[in-house]
Amino acid sequence: MIASGHFGSYLLLLLEGAGVTLELSLGALILGSIAGVVLGAMRGSRRRVVKALAAIYIEGLRSTPFVILLFLMYYAVPVALNLDIPPYPAAITALSLHCSAYMAEVVRSGIEAVPKGQWEAAAALGLGYPRIMGLVILPQALRVMIPPTIGVYVSTLKESSLASIIGFVELLGQGMAIRESNAGHSTADVLLAVAFGYFIICFTLSRLGLRLERHTTRDLRQGAGAGGTVRG
Amino acid sequence: MYDFNFRVLVPYLPNFASGALLTLELSALAILASFPLGLVGALMRISRHRLARGLATGFVEAVRNIPLLVVLYILFYALPAYGVPLDAFMAGVLGLTINSTAFTIEIFRSGFAAIPPGQYEAARALGLRPVQSFGLVIIPQVFRIVLPTLGNQVVAVVLGSAQASIIGVGELTYQTQSVGSATFRYFELFTLAALFYILCAQLIGVLWRLISGRAARAPLGA
Repeated sequence: MIASGHFGSYLLLLLEGAGVTLELSLGALILGSIAGVVLGAMRGSRRRVVKALAAIYIEGLRSTPFVILLFLMYYAVPVALNLDIPPYPAAITALSLHCSAYMAEVVRSGIEAVPKGQWEAAAALGLGYPRIMGLVILPQALRVMIPPTIGVYVSTLKESSLASIIGFVELLGQGMAIRESNAGHSTADVLLAVAFGYFIICFTLSRLGLRLERHTTRDLRQGAGAGGTVRG
Repeated sequence: MYDFNFRVLVPYLPNFASGALLTLELSALAILASFPLGLVGALMRISRHRLARGLATGFVEAVRNIPLLVVLYILFYALPAYGVPLDAFMAGVLGLTINSTAFTIEIFRSGFAAIPPGQYEAARALGLRPVQSFGLVIIPQVFRIVLPTLGNQVVAVVLGSAQASIIGVGELTYQTQSVGSATFRYFELFTLAALFYILCAQLIGVLWRLISGRAARAPLGA
């Protein structure tokens, strides 16, 4: 058991860890989303080579365990390039790569949700592919993409707990450090507290995603009656 | 430029073979346990009994919102303190099973939700008792609907099993790491490991489609 006098300071450490976890996974989500938009647009492209390249990247990353990706960044790339990669850059790079593959799928299905008439209308206005995508399709797809993006954030956040095994101190890392400083006497308490921390964060986010999703599907259904447009 | 050297790794082939075998064993056990449990859990989630529904919902929400690694740590590090000593392999199987059961419950639940209400009514109109209508009418159709998603879940378990290396299960990721610390050929090693998992995922996908075969393609009665 944790001695009650230490309880406050441990709680503070865990809260700090939770902050680091949120920040690490948010950073990965942002970087992964940028790459995901490019990849998602590539998958929707009519050029076969472009499409195939994106598909291989996405499929490959989605079927590589995140642990392996993390070890590739932390152990393998430094050996290959003869440079030193500290835990934080290794973790955020691996997480971003992982995230980008999932975001690409979110972007692709978001694009598919935009009615075909929008493409035709934009093409009829004389716009080329990059402009149609950037100015007409993506802004409308964005709306549909928000709920699944929250889903990706939650799963990225859970995967980020693996950063603790390469020595990056986020929520789980903080918990394991407390466990060690108590010579393992507080293992159960600390691990349950860590689990509770992840639960609160992920549960809240998942609920938010669900609510937004209900909104979007309702709006889509209403929009479908009025010529199938999605109002942004 | 980095020199690839795969030859140094040849003497370690038996390590990889035993690691790969353990990965498959671990995953197979977790899948065999979690699929039936997932069906039971889904039946609980749609049941009219509030306690059954609450238990299943609570389980799903808890497991889906806690990282697998934390569950593995609790099983491996915390349970022994309560007099439940689990070795790494058992903790790995149990952790993966718990995780996969939660996701499988959701898969089956969405399958049940996809069955038109008319099917339940028709089964009852034929005079089937609830157990019969579920066993003979509803569940066979649910299986057809969820087959492709269950295939994805098999892949998810195999990928998740890599995390068992962290609590010391000697599966493929663990072996890769230990050979890495002996040879320092991390780049070749982890590239090979990634390829192993990618290949596994592709093979499972192909095999799953073959096995599901006609069942998944057959049209559903409305």
